[in-house]
Amino acid sequence: MKEIVIISGKGGTGKTSVAAALAFIVPKAVMADCDVDAADLHLILKPEIRTSEDFYSGVKAEIDPGMCIGCWECERVCRFNAISHASSIYKVNPLDCEGCGYCNQICPAQAISLPQQMVGQCFVSDTRFGCRLVHAKLGIGADNSGKLVAKVKKEAKKEALRTGMDYILVDGSPGIGCPVISSLSGADFVILVTEPTLSGLSDLQRVWQLTDQFKIPAGCLINKADLNPQITAQIKDFLDQQGIRHLDDLPYDEDFSQAITLGQSLVEIDPPKWKTRFDLIWQSIIKELS
Amino acid sequence: MKIAFTSTGTDWDAKIDPRFGRTDFILFYDEDTEEISTLDNREIVNVAHGAGPKTAQHIFEHAPDILITGNGPGGNAAAILATMHLKIYTGAGGMTVREAYDALKNNQLPEGV
Repeated sequence: MKEIVIISGKGGTGKTSVAAALAFIVPKAVMADCDVDAADLHLILKPEIRTSEDFYSGVKAEIDPGMCIGCWECERVCRFNAISHASSIYKVNPLDCEGCGYCNQICPAQAISLPQQMVGQCFVSDTRFGCRLVHAKLGIGADNSGKLVAKVKKEAKKEALRTGMDYILVDGSPGIGCPVISSLSGADFVILVTEPTLSGLSDLQRVWQLTDQFKIPAGCLINKADLNPQITAQIKDFLDQQGIRHLDDLPYDEDFSQAITLGQSLVEIDPPKWKTRFDLIWQSIIKELS
Repeated sequence: MKIAFTSTGTDWDAKIDPRFGRTDFILFYDEDTEEISTLDNREIVNVAHGAGPKTAQHIFEHAPDILITGNGPGGNAAAILATMHLKIYTGAGGMTVREAYDALKNNQLPEGV
């Protein structure tokens, strides 16, 4: 079983459009949407949820009013001004609490606990493409984390093993932070989706630095390549230098926005145009995997 | 030589966990005493951020001479491991602990991060 991660560094390069197209093409795959902050694969795959599980991450302070002696110590030490009092009732404002635990350490009455927070849910679903999708939904204000991405990937792996699938396709998140590192961890191949803008190139270089650190082989798709031939050429030079396989140049095409508007994958919008193209992209990825 | 493996289990036949920070177990093999010991690293599952540096801390506390893993540690963990007298070998993802040990002895694993 091979795990393939789709990332971009920069947001908005067409990562999820590529993921949705591959979801249609790749046989025997489980999809995992690890872009949990802005999950959108479900808009196209229209999942029917089979199982869901609450997800806990991080802590917030809670004051037990029965044990509180009203000494003001917690309010004094809180760097986030998350604790206030009215008469002698002390309260934590959960929106301001960062869960640092200082108040819990300092409270002389041990009235402050740090319960784990339920921040969202993790789902395993059936999709209209036939493949299973593992995805998550965060509560308002909750952050994606390496922990949540690791959870989504673990469930996807379990599902792939259980149902005898050959591939896990992971739609990663933008950036190079903890969630991205967690999505790369254990991967066999990385698809880098970029666009010919300066920030597209710069973010590609940064996310490649990370990918290369983990010694994961990668291929690159340059989306909207015809919009700026000069930077597209610079990107190709960079790919050559770094030994990254150039998978394809995708032209700027209204089909991308059309597909998203209709909640479909590119391959469904215009099969003759896109199916062969993504079939070929998938073939070159398989070649790189073996 | 004391050798540490990131592993998914606690014996020679366990698979190497390709992940460093969120590896399930760290298995130590002491070549002098021929003894195996394991450290359950699964508490890391509950860490939202900074799994790599925390696992590096565990490695530091057990002071092995060699670390064998899959993809290799990320930037922050690598910076911590670089301060130790530790040789790091990667590329053992998919092998069992025994296969990874043999590969090390046959110089088949790439060194460095």
